Amino acid sequence: MSILKNLGAGLRGLFRKKTTERDMDEELGSYLDAAGKEDTRAGISAASANRAARVRMGSVESVKEGIRAATWESTLESLWRDLLHGLRVLVRRPGFTAMAVLTLGLGIGANSAIFSFVDAWMIKPLPYPEADRLMAFLAHNTKTGTEWDQVTSTADFVDFQKQTKTFESTVAWNNWNFNLTGDGPPALVEGGLVNWGFFDSLGVKPELGRSFLPDDDKAGAPHVAIISSGLWQGRYGGDPNIVGRKILISGEPYSVVGVMPASFQFPIMGIANIWAPMAMSDKALNDRSNSWFSAFGRLKPGVSQEQAATELAGLMDTLEKEYPNTNKNSTMLLSPLPYEIGKEEGTEQVMICMWIVSLILLIACANVASLTLSHAARRAKEFAVRTATGATRGRLVRQLLTETLVLFFFGAIAGVGFGVLGVDWIVAQIPDHVRGYLVNYGRMSLSYTTVAFTLAIALFCGLIFGIAPAFQTSKLDVNGILKEEAGRGGSSGRSGRLRRVFVVGEVVLAMVVLIATTLLVKSFVVAARSGVGFDTENVMTAQVTLPPAKYKTDAQARNFTDDVLARLRSLPHVIGAAVTSGLPYGGFGQTVIVDAAAKPVTQPGEQLGARFSAISADYFSAMRIPLLEGRTFNSNDASGMERVAIVNRRLADKLWPDRDAIGQQLKYGDDNTVATVVGVVAGIKMYQVRARPERQMYVPVEQAPSKNLGFAVRTEGDMTPLPAAIRAAIWGVDADQPISGVDSFDTLMAIQDAGNRVVTKLMGFFGVLAAFLGAIGIFGVMAQTVAQRTREIGIRMALGAEPGRVMRSVIVQGLKLTSVGIVLGILLSLATTRWLAVMLYQVAPTDLVTFVTVPLGFALVAAAACYLPARRAMQVDPIVSLRHE
Amino acid sequence: MVESGGAGGGGELVPGTLEMMILKTLELEPRHGWGITVRIEQISNGVFRVNPGSLFPALKRMVRAGLLKEEWRATENNRRAKYYSITRRGKTRLEAETKQWDRQISAIARILQAS
Repeated sequence: MSILKNLGAGLRGLFRKKTTERDMDEELGSYLDAAGKEDTRAGISAASANRAARVRMGSVESVKEGIRAATWESTLESLWRDLLHGLRVLVRRPGFTAMAVLTLGLGIGANSAIFSFVDAWMIKPLPYPEADRLMAFLAHNTKTGTEWDQVTSTADFVDFQKQTKTFESTVAWNNWNFNLTGDGPPALVEGGLVNWGFFDSLGVKPELGRSFLPDDDKAGAPHVAIISSGLWQGRYGGDPNIVGRKILISGEPYSVVGVMPASFQFPIMGIANIWAPMAMSDKALNDRSNSWFSAFGRLKPGVSQEQAATELAGLMDTLEKEYPNTNKNSTMLLSPLPYEIGKEEGTEQVMICMWIVSLILLIACANVASLTLSHAARRAKEFAVRTATGATRGRLVRQLLTETLVLFFFGAIAGVGFGVLGVDWIVAQIPDHVRGYLVNYGRMSLSYTTVAFTLAIALFCGLIFGIAPAFQTSKLDVNGILKEEAGRGGSSGRSGRLRRVFVVGEVVLAMVVLIATTLLVKSFVVAARSGVGFDTENVMTAQVTLPPAKYKTDAQARNFTDDVLARLRSLPHVIGAAVTSGLPYGGFGQTVIVDAAAKPVTQPGEQLGARFSAISADYFSAMRIPLLEGRTFNSNDASGMERVAIVNRRLADKLWPDRDAIGQQLKYGDDNTVATVVGVVAGIKMYQVRARPERQMYVPVEQAPSKNLGFAVRTEGDMTPLPAAIRAAIWGVDADQPISGVDSFDTLMAIQDAGNRVVTKLMGFFGVLAAFLGAIGIFGVMAQTVAQRTREIGIRMALGAEPGRVMRSVIVQGLKLTSVGIVLGILLSLATTRWLAVMLYQVAPTDLVTFVTVPLGFALVAAAACYLPARRAMQVDPIVSLRHE
Repeated sequence: MVESGGAGGGGELVPGTLEMMILKTLELEPRHGWGITVRIEQISNGVFRVNPGSLFPALKRMVRAGLLKEEWRATENNRRAKYYSITRRGKTRLEAETKQWDRQISAIARILQAS
């Protein structure tokens, strides 16, 4: 109750300030009066009694101040006054304010944007209940040490599935493309083949209908499918009777039994819109030599990863002894599913971005601390005066704190602004195709937690390194400061030295960031310039997968291919059209085991892999891949004729290091097909722009018909009409054939290289940012130095020093400071850039050009930052400067 | 702060006793600021003289804390003055503080005698 009363009295005091003040005046007046009367009675003259009373009271104002201070509302009031004062101070020094707000904004913005991504994609738990119980299976070869995210074989997995006591459920899954026909144009829809327990194990339920049942997952069971909300709303127009509706997949009817909610996602599956049961045959279930799917499971409550891993390892040991032929050296490991998903997204690129922004935050903090320091130090005189007139130290600290908070408030607003821009920009850079692999499809917003966190760090730096030392200086020597000339006060001594330390530190960090980002950008440019081994320009591609149900014989597939190629070649301006089973940067790719036919059987684990493509005869000319030796395929290399192959230089050198490859025989694939090498071509980069070409081999598509076909069409005209013409050509041959994508090579490569492109752009930006922040730091300290030296410069100029010389001396002083930072920065970079090696393509971590040009460039920027203060120094008017207070 | 003053001189007052002394002077009858000053001076035989710079903020604090009530009244000289009177809460506080003070004093005395 008394708190309420107190509050009431306080509020009254606040709002009826006049009455309160009048009350106070009257009370003190009557006190003086009474005191005077008393003394008069004691025989002292009225005038002197009154004076004595006043003397005893001291300053009426200070008594009133004491009374005011006894109440809480006065604290509020002084806070408000401090706030207004803080705003005025900031407005009065627009340069300082702008620099501090910009520094804070950029530092906080860059960090919160990057950390928002890390948080959303790597740290946040998966949207499944008790996701920590989900474990992914990894195949592991104990001899080679390799690990891959699949099971060792179907039979191994099924054995474990049957006998596990640690897992509640275990499910296999694999990416799958579905040919959807009927209900509109044929479409290739990505999705997955899964065990029946897939959704139940994740702990998610369909929005409509049901999950799969055990019976759905048996060979020969009626075909069922679960579709995504997107497919339901899109292709099927949100049909309310979708559950139970038959859809055509590869020409066969499937009943839709469920629709997943729009929020459902299994990021390692990519963009998935249809799921169907695996329904493996007994033969497939007993296959112990092949591995073609991934798997995960949900642990029973209370079971640890170690317990489950021990059980799994035990079974794999038994199987290895029982089936030495297939299971030698092979075992399986467990890894938390959230980690496996995060791993896909948390690449080195993200980690490096994180490190770089952290450094930028440090630079920004040093900048803020240095700015706050100069700001506070500059006002040492103001504070000294206030201390002398009775302001307590706490009062001053509070005022300075309030001002700093006002500044940081604006910094935070700018930070949120830059952060939102940054997040939106990065999200916009993600190609749609890649989004499927990102949690929440790559959609995300700025995390305000990270904004608050980075703001707190900056605030900490500003307060501890900025205000505390400045305050120390002003407090320790009030007299000294009051005696000193204005403009010199406080900026000397400790705070000045501290600022120089900050600036050197900033330059060091800026150098590290600049060198690192330059290396990364240079590596990207080198990779982009290096080319991929074929001419990507003016080529449009289209990929199709022929449904096996419809194309049962090789002849049917061959006819389709020939007919489409014939139509494509007759298109206007088309100068080449070819087909391949493995289009570079396309979705399909096949690796085969290959060896010289003459060699004895190779040991498992020492087998040689090569990228395998079945191509039409004119593929090399259409793609402009140079033929190095021998010949390309021709119409004689038809089905039934002698099997022929063409290898790239790297494979040829590997198989026959000591002799000419032409005429040699190689064996490839599971059934050791033998073919004669008729040509050697140059290698191309089929999957990664930043890698050296793999071993590659080609066979005529006539001899190895493929259901996966990638058409490449080279035009000498405009690319725009091509996609429609290509679709028309394919549908002219088979109106029900879905086309998975019609894209130019440039687009395909952009998708593949999207991550690098975004990171490179970010790196470029961060580099500029670091240089900018470093320059601000140098500018700030030099501007202050010049202000400090105004008198000295004035005297020197009065004594006849040339303006140019004065200016040079200021710039030299600035560069001295900078060069200390640059040298230290180079040393630190030399020690750290080797961490970047994994991301660098044909650029050494200690690239000489970078280590020379970047410091020189930064020195130029630093000189420019010194120029403005230097020019101001040059323009010093001796008369004015000597009068300067 | 209560200053020691007057011709008689005297030692420093234990800090924090001002509020207790104000409560004591108001125990019997309401007084205005000067009245409180005079009363404290009288009881202490002129040893303590309260400075208005300490007295008025203390009064304000105590009113806010509900220990005192304030009210404008005419003085004996027919001037308006703010009179302070003790509340129930103030009385309770005074009793508690007096008890504690007594305990402390006797404890200190014992310690001094023991040596």
